[in-house]
Order: sequence, then structure tokens, then C-alpha cells
Amino acid sequence: MIGERTLTLLGARAIAVTREVGGIALMTGQVLRALLPPRLDGRELVRNLHRMGNRSLPIVALTAFFAGGLMVVQSAPFVKRLGATSLAGWAAGYAVLREIGPILIGLMFSGRVGANNTAELGTMTVTEQLDGLRALAIDPIRYLIVPRVLAMLIMLTALTIIGDLVALVGAAVVAYLVLDIDWRTMYFSFADNLTPHDFFHGVYKSVAFGAAIALTSCYFGVTVKGGAVGVGRAVNAAVVAAAVSIMLLDFFITYATA
Amino acid sequence: MTARAFVEFIGVEKAFAGKPVLRGMDLAIGKGEILYIIGTSGVGKSVTIKHLVGFLPIDRGEIWFDGQRVDQLDERGFYPVRRRVGMVFQNATLFDAMTLTENVALPLRKHQGLGWKAALADARRRLAQVYLADFADRYPAELSDGMRKRAAIARTLTLAPEVVLFDEPTTGLDPVNARRIDRLIRELSRTLGVTAVVVSHDLPSIMSVADRVAFLYQGRVHALATPAALAASADPIVQQFIAGRSSGPMETPGF
Ligand SMILES: Nc1ncnc2c1ncn2[C@@H]1O[C@H](COP(=O)(O)OP(=O)(O)OP(=O)(O)O)[C@@H](O)[C@H]1O
Ligand SMILES: [Mg+2]
Repeated sequence: MIGERTLTLLGARAIAVTREVGGIALMTGQVLRALLPPRLDGRELVRNLHRMGNRSLPIVALTAFFAGGLMVVQSAPFVKRLGATSLAGWAAGYAVLREIGPILIGLMFSGRVGANNTAELGTMTVTEQLDGLRALAIDPIRYLIVPRVLAMLIMLTALTIIGDLVALVGAAVVAYLVLDIDWRTMYFSFADNLTPHDFFHGVYKSVAFGAAIALTSCYFGVTVKGGAVGVGRAVNAAVVAAAVSIMLLDFFITYATA
Repeated sequence: MTARAFVEFIGVEKAFAGKPVLRGMDLAIGKGEILYIIGTSGVGKSVTIKHLVGFLPIDRGEIWFDGQRVDQLDERGFYPVRRRVGMVFQNATLFDAMTLTENVALPLRKHQGLGWKAALADARRRLAQVYLADFADRYPAELSDGMRKRAAIARTLTLAPEVVLFDEPTTGLDPVNARRIDRLIRELSRTLGVTAVVVSHDLPSIMSVADRVAFLYQGRVHALATPAALAASADPIVQQFIAGRSSGPMETPGF
């Protein structure tokens, strides 16, 4: 009685999610197939790299700077109490490189570039521009989707690397201003305690997050139904799906490499 | 094997959500012919031409193009067909992130092997042919419907198609621009031997351009004749349609 309605709803929801996961898997297959042989539209790739990168760099830099600083502020009481200034950099750097950097920048990228991508593809779908391409014997997967997926993968990885550096600078600046730790101490705290492994751990994640954002944002874009209202719904669904995928991927990658 | 017409629909059936639209439609179109498809709104004119280029799958029947059965092709299989059978949609479907020139240049670059510069130059030349030289650098959103339609036609013609499907090319255009489109269709047919299949409600255009007219009614070709013969037809349903009378023997669902 309480259960039946809830179960029906849960079941319907589960079926819907399964269908969407299936759709995304199918599209992943199509994208991979379109890459062999790799006849890539270079113009489209460059155009997408440019606008996706440009659009995100300022916001990523800003977020990363304060994220790095924030880590130092959080650890300040302990560092002060224990007098462990040489560990301030390690704490901030470790958290930034492995977790905070990739996740924060991934979510930022999804909200900005991914959402924009879904809206754009969705609008093209409802105004039959995708059919217009097909009628010109141009495969939308090859021409529209593949360059976008590659551009997002490349750009998110690049932005994460840049963001990591900016975050470390942010940490050093805040350490200097708030904790009175000089630059040299911070520098050696990073250099002595952080390993390339910490850095690459985050980079792997950003590649996975980039793929997840790219595929979900494209999928929800090209499957829009129902005009402008449908585009709004699709953007919503894409951002939520990307955030959930980022969290799940993060958990599994961290777990698998621990 | 029997000789097939250049384009042939045989017993084509199509239903949407159990509601039949085409119910065993037969239609043969000759090479170089200008065939108009007419009929009331919702009768399945757009659906018919979409079947030919694989935008909608048929439920039953066969569709042939130049000796090849096309209705069973998959999406990839349809690409070679679409390079030979161009389609101009009811709404222009131009890419709104690109200027008119870039819109027309895209298929040139993709299919004619032109570099970007050469494609742009050729696109400008083609836009001038449809009186759009002054608007070549505008975006589709900045243009009128008629301009967008002409640009879409120029874009489709970059494929050098053997068949062009026009979905209501003159609807919503002023008479001058409508007659220009008519002339373009006639020239394509006469000078390049292009087969044209035109969905239209535009009587002046039908009367002056069509070689033959297929009148769709209740999911079938109810009448197929030259425009003059159709106008003179004694068939009461054809008469009602041509005369545009709101009452008569014709059954139109939804009214
Ligand atoms: N993709 C689709 N999904 C569901 N129903 C469709 C689809 N396409 C067409 N139909 C239905 O098929 C019928 C015929 O549609 P079609 O677009 O061919 O009409 P038409 O003859 O071109 O009319 P008009 O002159 O108004 O353009 C309509 O009832 C329409 O609702
Ligand atoms: Mg129509």
C-alpha cells in the first residue's frame, strides 16, 4: 500500500535511468566508431577548443586560486598549534592535486561548457539543423559530436593542469598573508612532499571527468524532444547526470588506485 | 526484373502511433521530371519525401531509386543516396551559428574536396545566383523567410543532386520571389536534367511548373495527371481541392 506506488515510481525511474545510460553507451560506441579511421574535422576541433577553453579559463583560475587558499586557511589552526609550517604546503597541495582541483574544475566546466553544449545541440535538434546536416550527407556524429567530445576532453585536462598550478600559487599567497609563512618554506613544502603520482592521479581523473561531461552533454543535447521547454529540461538533466558521473567516477578511480 | 522508374514508391504504408498516414501509396517518377505533390495539410506529403532520403522508416512496401532498393538501408547506407537526392526542408534548417556563406561552403568543403577559402568563394558565387550576394555575411536569424529558403536551396544544390525534393519552397513568399523559385526549379530541370519533386499548395506555381501532379488523398495517390488535366478533372474530390471549397465530398480528419 505505501510500497506499491513508491515501488512503481522507483521502477519507472530505474527504467528511465537505464535507458539513458544505454543511450549514452550507444553514443560512446558511435563516437569511437567515427574515430576509426580518424577522419577528423580539424576546423571544428580547433573552433571548439578555442571557444571552450577561452570561455572557462578565467572562472577556472579564480576558483582554483581560492580553492588553494582555502585549503591553507582550513589547515591554519593545526599548522599554528603544532608549528608545522613545513607541512602547510603538503596538506593543501595533496588535497588540491588529488581531489579538489579535478572535482571543482570538472563541475565548473560542466556548468559552463557542458550546459552550453547541451543547449546548443538541443536547439539545433529541435530546429531540425541536425536533420539539415544529415540531408547534406554530413554525419552529425562525425562533424558535430566527435570534435566536441575531443575538445572537452583536451580542454578539461589542460584546465585542470593549469588550475592545479594556480591553486598552489593561491595556497602560497594565502599562507604568506595569513600564516606568515614565507615563499621558500611553501615551495619546499610542495617540492619535498608532493609526488608526480599525486599530480597524475588528478590528471587521470580529469580525463575521465572530461569524457563523462562530453558524452552526457552531447547525448542530452541530441535527444531533446519538445521544443524550447525540452531544451531547458535537457540542460538540467545533463548537468545533474554529469555531476553524478563525476562523483561516481571519482570514487571508483580513487578506490581502484588506493 | 521489371524496369523501374527513376524513383518509385510501391505499396508504401506508414502509421504513426497506430494512426495510418500512408496506406499503400504507389508513385513512379521519371528522370528529369518535375512532379508536384499536393493534398490537404497532414495528408503525408512531407512524410512521403522524407521516406525517400531515409528520415523516416516505412512500415511496409518498397522504395526504389535508380534501380536500387533504398527503403531497407540503414543510416550509413543512406548517405550515398542523400548525396544524389537533395532535400530542401519546409523550414530552411540553416545552421544558425554560421553565416550564409559558411552554410553554403560547408557541404562544398565536405563533398567537393574544396579548401575552406575556395569553398567560401564558390559559396559566394552560388549565393549571388539566388540574389543573396548582399546578405552573404549575415546570419540566418537576420534574414527573412524567403531569403533563408533561397539560401537553403543554394546549399542543397552544392551537392549537384540528381533529384531535389522541395518541401513547400514557395509557401510564405511574396509572388515575385515565389516565381523566382519556380523559374529556378524549371531551369534546374531543363538545363541540368534534375528531377524535381515539389510539395506545394501554390496553385500558380503548380500550373506553370509541374509536368505532372500527384494528388494525395487518404494515404494514396488519388489522382496523377498533368496540371491542365487535373484542373479539368471531373473527380468531385479533386474538384473540391482545386476550387478550394470548404464543403464537399472530401473527408479531412481533424475538421
Ligand atoms: N515524426 C513524426 N512523428 C509522429 N507523427 C508524425 C511525424 N511526422 C509526421 N507525422 C504525422 O503524419 C501526418 C502527415 O504529416 P506530414 O508532415 O506529411 O503532412 P503534410 O502533408 O506535409 O502537411 P502540411 O501541408 O501541413 O505540411 C500528420 O498527421 C503528422 O502528425
Ligand atoms: Mg509538410
